[in-house]
Amino acid sequence: MSTTTGTSSHSAAGRYVGQRVARIEDPRLLTGHGRYVDDIQLPGMLHAAFVRSPVARGRITRIETKAAAALPGVRAVLTGSDINPRVHQFWHSMLGPPPEMGGQTPYPPVRPLAHGDVRFVGDPIVIIVAESRYVAEDAAELIEVDIDPGTPVLGYDAGTNPILVHPEMASGTNVSEAVPMPDVPEVEAMFATAPHVVTRTFRQARATNVPMEPRGIVVHYNRFAGDMQIWAATQSVSEVKSSAARLTGLPEPRVRAIANDVGGGFGQKMMLSRDEAAVILAAHLIGDRPVKWVEDRQENLTAANQARQEAVEVTMAVDAAGTILGAKVHFFEDVGAFPSGTGSSASMAMGVFPGPYRFPVVLPASTAVFTNTVGKQAYRGPWMMETVAREQMMDHVAREIGMDPLEFRRRNILSADEFPYTNCMTLVYENVTPSETMQQALEMLDVEAFRAEQAAARAEGRLLGMGLGVYLEPSAIAFGMLSSDLAVLQMDPTGRVIISMSTGNHGHSLETTIPQIVADTLGCDIADVVLIQGDTATSPTGPGTGGSRSAVIAGGAAQTASMRLREKIVQIAAHLLEASPEDMEVNASVVSVRGTPSKAVPFAQVASVAHMAPDSLPPDMECGLEVTARFRPPGMFTWSNAAHACTVEVDRETGMVKILRYIVSEDCGKMINPMVVEGQIAGGVVQGIGGVLYEHFAYDGEGNPLTTTFLDYLVPSAAEIPDIEIGHIETMSASLGGYKGMGEGGAIVSPPTVANAIHDAVAHLGVHPTDFPLGPSQIRDLLRAVAT
Amino acid sequence: MTLVPINLTVNGERHAVAVEARKLLSDVLREDLHLTGTHVGCEHGACGACTVLLDGQAVRSCLLFAIQLDRSEITTVEGLAGGDGTLNRFQAAMQECHGLQCGFCTPGVVVSMTAYLADHDQPDDEDLRVALSGNLCRCTGYQGIVNAARLSSRGAAVAGGRPGSGPTA
Amino acid sequence: MKPRAFQYHAPESVGEAVGLLEAHGDDAKVLAGGQSLVPMLNLRLTSFEHLVDLNRIAGLGTIERSSGTVRVGAVVRQAAAERSPDVAVGAPLLARALPHIGHFQIRNRGTVGGSIAHADPASELPAVALALDATLEVSGPAGVRIIAADEFFLSTWETAIGDGEILISVDFPSWGGRCGFAVEEIARRHGDFALAGAAVGVGLDEDLRVVRCAIGLFGVGSTPVRAHDAEVALTGGASIGEAAALAAADIDPPGDVHATAMYRKEVAAVVVRRALAAAIEEACL
Repeated sequence: MSTTTGTSSHSAAGRYVGQRVARIEDPRLLTGHGRYVDDIQLPGMLHAAFVRSPVARGRITRIETKAAAALPGVRAVLTGSDINPRVHQFWHSMLGPPPEMGGQTPYPPVRPLAHGDVRFVGDPIVIIVAESRYVAEDAAELIEVDIDPGTPVLGYDAGTNPILVHPEMASGTNVSEAVPMPDVPEVEAMFATAPHVVTRTFRQARATNVPMEPRGIVVHYNRFAGDMQIWAATQSVSEVKSSAARLTGLPEPRVRAIANDVGGGFGQKMMLSRDEAAVILAAHLIGDRPVKWVEDRQENLTAANQARQEAVEVTMAVDAAGTILGAKVHFFEDVGAFPSGTGSSASMAMGVFPGPYRFPVVLPASTAVFTNTVGKQAYRGPWMMETVAREQMMDHVAREIGMDPLEFRRRNILSADEFPYTNCMTLVYENVTPSETMQQALEMLDVEAFRAEQAAARAEGRLLGMGLGVYLEPSAIAFGMLSSDLAVLQMDPTGRVIISMSTGNHGHSLETTIPQIVADTLGCDIADVVLIQGDTATSPTGPGTGGSRSAVIAGGAAQTASMRLREKIVQIAAHLLEASPEDMEVNASVVSVRGTPSKAVPFAQVASVAHMAPDSLPPDMECGLEVTARFRPPGMFTWSNAAHACTVEVDRETGMVKILRYIVSEDCGKMINPMVVEGQIAGGVVQGIGGVLYEHFAYDGEGNPLTTTFLDYLVPSAAEIPDIEIGHIETMSASLGGYKGMGEGGAIVSPPTVANAIHDAVAHLGVHPTDFPLGPSQIRDLLRAVAT
Repeated sequence: MTLVPINLTVNGERHAVAVEARKLLSDVLREDLHLTGTHVGCEHGACGACTVLLDGQAVRSCLLFAIQLDRSEITTVEGLAGGDGTLNRFQAAMQECHGLQCGFCTPGVVVSMTAYLADHDQPDDEDLRVALSGNLCRCTGYQGIVNAARLSSRGAAVAGGRPGSGPTA
Repeated sequence: MKPRAFQYHAPESVGEAVGLLEAHGDDAKVLAGGQSLVPMLNLRLTSFEHLVDLNRIAGLGTIERSSGTVRVGAVVRQAAAERSPDVAVGAPLLARALPHIGHFQIRNRGTVGGSIAHADPASELPAVALALDATLEVSGPAGVRIIAADEFFLSTWETAIGDGEILISVDFPSWGGRCGFAVEEIARRHGDFALAGAAVGVGLDEDLRVVRCAIGLFGVGSTPVRAHDAEVALTGGASIGEAAALAAADIDPPGDVHATAMYRKEVAAVVVRRALAAAIEEACL
């Protein structure tokens, strides 16, 4: 175990993995020389803007575009009837094709632009393409759209609403997906006789990913060449390429997608959105000039898909000693009108609901409904409602049965001697340390000292509380096209290497961490390794980033490729030195005979021979120095885990919450770069804090969004956030290198941790919060309700 | 559309450009002067990504019309590092402390804090967090940025929070 | 999110500016710091055919302190006022309020006069002007006139500035004797508009009794609100708790996604009480 120390260190060549290597990508980003999609300027480039629905549901009775089309500088004004028929196919690689094409994913209706009716505020109706974004917005204001408004479908009970969000869907219901609660008589009998049965419903607040760079795309279809080049703010250039090919009917090799630097995604940029599809189709239609669409912040907040509109009803049975007997859990999701794919994460949430505790049985159910709101998509830990519900439930149940929540956790948490452990949903946990991280977090917190501080504060009428959250993170999610990643590693004649991967740069630090792995595995200087990513013309097809996959799967591919290349280098060197490959060692880009440093040959010489002197190679060896390696991790999940603890003060009079301390104990296996790990933790934690205390994308009863600017959608600033204290435990995973993913966990468990701390501060007053957001007004409502 | 000629000195270099009255400084810097380091994140003055120095003071370039700034001196993020690319003190601290991930908010953070730290001796932690509150970052949780500000103002950073607060082994 | 087209004017004198406003009437709008106006233009929540930029007019950017008052010119940046020793000494309540406005980058461009003329009821400076009985000098086609703060704020974003008139300066009266000032506000995040806030000043006599009191509330209605009853009660011997309750008694704040009306009313009393306590403590030093 170790805690964090200070800052990065520039280590000498040789050992990079495990060190705080300063990021290779930083100098260009710090000096304003990154290249984001909005930085792309092409000759003849046009700019797009949308006319969007101002009402949640309604019939379009008239669209008048003449005045807009006549405005100087306007190149095209396109409606659903222009764009939608041009769609060849519109589905996402990760989820596969729709049922009518032999797949299994029930997608919402395919229509990049609204046609005939509108289904949420922000629904794109018309796309305008003009000489500048200024003119495009001017033209948008000249378009008249008459809408006969209808009653919107809103709320988790949309499934019982006779009005349909998507009347053309064969299902004839607003329920997009549902799993009924299993009827298991012996479990019912257990609940009927259990000493304690507690039921709570926890509600999350709708939140949105808010990458600081909004969505954006530049599309150039050269109809004379028959090819399309796309620059996009995306988590996966391969997905952009495939989607654009499917949309337009172009052969995939005719489409090239590029993402240089991307300003954050957090799930919002995994799958191509309807708006982006409309831009691709508009550019395809226009056919000779590039079209740029970079959404503004209001579009990003109101029309880019969102997350966390979820509620979880949990019933837990516990015996007299505080041992969990089982649970029933029902996940409710509002997936809006046009979710990305199905929008539902319930199946994943069901599997991981038991988390780090012994649950003999969990009966799961789920209901996802379409509503006339913006669609649901992945957001950092898309299934995290299970942890939000479970970790709050642990506190609620403990209080209900009169037990300290810490003690209740200790009785039920899995301990080191129980792994590998198959949870009651059949997932197998291994190489995880939930008890140890909980213990470390509690030691860092010093529970006894805090309890004394809390008691003293309470005597003065002040409300302090501490909360805990523990979870297992199913990282490196490996199914379907996410199962593997490819590395293409080439050593040039000078002895330096290029590694090409499907990943991209949007904050993950892969330009540094992948070279760390390659340099260590090959035995060369990190400066001699360059990662090429974010361009389908130079990088292999693959899933990009998402599902906390990169360290394990991309890292595994990089390491495998490096091992293979090293083997070939050693063979060539041994041949040149007339020695046996088994006797060779590699140090600082030099291959030498072990124990005889004078018998050595540098990489540059090996590479030169491999490329230029094929006859000097060992007999039968192929010339050149390049390898490809596809890596698939041993399990569908590579589990990491963490425990979070925090302390808060609740201002009884104003309901304001101040986080006093925030502590994380993380076990993400072998850390490639601890500085990067800690950055991911802190970023995730703050997003989670935002989801409890500040962020709430609110709709009124008519389906009108109320938080459409940064003045109302409250992203936490530095002033609201404490230092995050981080401890590490490193338990190697079963995957190559011992790496584990950890990119989502910070955002998964911080919400219940903060909520539990608030609960602890006010529980003695009879206040037991269950719903987010817990803003000052909501907290005052709760306190007022119990005031005597 | 009427274009009005203006003169701007940006990063020490004089530029004569013709602008439409309504064109935001952020757009003129990015589109007309090709200085794309100034990022546009909200266009309503809230996120801070577009912050530049106007006559030495940090301001939002999305809330200024370029036409207002005839004969003004502007410094963008491109103008902060040395001519040979040497990072300034705060930029170097940002790299040292992992104060950036995706890098999109970074130019605004760097411009803002370079100006702030030049004006403030020995700011305490609360001062630094308040000074940073006008720059939204979605990646870092601010931890690396706050540490960078500490490092460049006091010569010491605290990465994982309180020094020695956790167990070691 | 780009503004509609407009014609830009940069007059170099007050007379020229007034002439432009007179000529273009409702189609013209004054641009000072632009930190409230430009976001609204960018969002196309509003637009004007003519923007009259005051920033090139000489003489509107100065702070002058005389024996009884601090005069702040219309385009004095909030950051300049924040750093001004004259403001610190002569109008400490203004100095206390300024750091609550937005962020330092906003205050570097935003102006004291602009914030007051914009008259957002949730912002700090209108409440400060009201509490201190500031006077506002405006210049228009009919010449110069002085408007008292309590006649200045008519409604949300609406003031007594007439057609063709521009705000030239604001005079903040200085208080003598043993006095203290405080600004307390509850905002969701640092720099956000207040859910409820109070700007208060108290004067004490030799026996440390409150003999003078001014309370301005913000974020609680369509204008900043002066809590006269509470002021009278406090100088009449009421406790700060009683005065705070009185201050909140008559207000009718709005509810929105950030806080209910009841919350704002409740918290208005809290911020008044805390501000009075802080101001009295300061005055006792």
